[in-house]
Amino acid sequence: MIDLLSAERRAKYDEFRLFVQNNVQAFAHTWEKNAGIPQSIIDRCAEAGYLGCTLPGEYQGNDWDVLTYGLFTEAVTRASASLGALFNVHTMVMQTLLKWGTDEQKNRWLSRMCRGEILAAFALTEPEAGSDIKGIKTTISLKENEIHLNGRKKWITFGGKADLYLVFGIDDEHKSPTACIVEKNAPGLTVIPITDMLGFRGSHLAILEFKDCVVKKENIIAKPGFAFTHIAPYALEYGRVSVAFTALGILQGCLEHCSTHVATRKTFNTRLSEQSTIKEMITKMGVDYEAARYLCFHACHAKQAHDPEASEKIMQAKYFATRAARRHANNAVQILGALGCHEDHPVARYYRDSKILEIIEGSNQVHEMVLSNSFVRKYRIRNEG
Amino acid sequence: METKVVRENIRAYILQNVTLDELDNDLEIFNEGLVSSLFAIELMTFIEKHFAIKITMEDLDLDNFKSVSSITQFVEYKISRR
Repeated sequence: MIDLLSAERRAKYDEFRLFVQNNVQAFAHTWEKNAGIPQSIIDRCAEAGYLGCTLPGEYQGNDWDVLTYGLFTEAVTRASASLGALFNVHTMVMQTLLKWGTDEQKNRWLSRMCRGEILAAFALTEPEAGSDIKGIKTTISLKENEIHLNGRKKWITFGGKADLYLVFGIDDEHKSPTACIVEKNAPGLTVIPITDMLGFRGSHLAILEFKDCVVKKENIIAKPGFAFTHIAPYALEYGRVSVAFTALGILQGCLEHCSTHVATRKTFNTRLSEQSTIKEMITKMGVDYEAARYLCFHACHAKQAHDPEASEKIMQAKYFATRAARRHANNAVQILGALGCHEDHPVARYYRDSKILEIIEGSNQVHEMVLSNSFVRKYRIRNEG
Repeated sequence: METKVVRENIRAYILQNVTLDELDNDLEIFNEGLVSSLFAIELMTFIEKHFAIKITMEDLDLDNFKSVSSITQFVEYKISRR
């Protein structure tokens, strides 16, 4: 599959793999145990230009297309899904500002985000509203020159580390879904770390509490009324690309570790690789990895071509790849036996992290609601008379 | 591009994305619940690509996107400013 890449992309992919090998692989387990990505690796990523990966050069970004971003995510998340999650949320906020921000907002934040001086997080989910974003209760009250936020965001990835948040709420006067930027030092904002998660333990999850939190009116993104129809869905396209390629990173890791193990490990005087039940598991793992990659690449090509169906293609890729990652991380632990049950081994982490992927950036059940309706619309036999 | 051509292109695209065989040009597509939660972004992408225009934050006005007629008017305005 990798051979389908252009020479330029292949070279970038090799660069990413080398960066991960030198800076991430040996440390990922410790980061999970310590429940946090250290600033030193974030600085290394910033030095390499990776934090501004998809932004144009005018903001000191690297101008990567979405497929290159996906390949980067795959390379990183094969070693650390938690580090990949930083790029996910940071990129979602950068892309939102790039598309919907004013010139003043772009000039104020984007270059600093590309340089890694500011880390961003995406604050949509609440204790009682996740995939169903219309259930959001946080209020954003528009006053003369400022806005006041009240409410509580939960499960915010890198919420405990970010300097700036893209926050979604409801304008309480007009009942309009609204988005705004809140900086971490805003008065009335309290950040409470969340620990003991099943997966992504290094990704600095946090609760954000807004108690009459005040920010400038200029921090509103686009216009009130469009946060749920245009702003969040646009950001989530990037988020779902990231999650789909994170699933690919996990699938690739499972395949590599399992293939290595079954080629040498013997039971009953026979290598595991020669045993039919193992052959079936490895075959399904390999075919699903290849199929998931095709869907992910196809979705990226659609996004790059500005195809109106890109949103759906991305959802298809996320749905398929995350389900496959979950299934095969489960099988990888089975193949490795006790080895795979110990936290020292990457497949134990794949097993935990892969479950999270089925929930975030729209649960897979929400994907089924959207995609099934779409397939019915497209494939129903219309009245030809 | 003539108004009729713009309108028919928009009509055809929306018809592909709703479970209706006919579509009134003044039907409010978002209010009627005919489209998915992704449709606002898909419609935006279609308009940008098909008519070679760029939709920015200034264009975010519900009146620009509510029906075939209003979208046609909006697209013609954007084309005239290109």
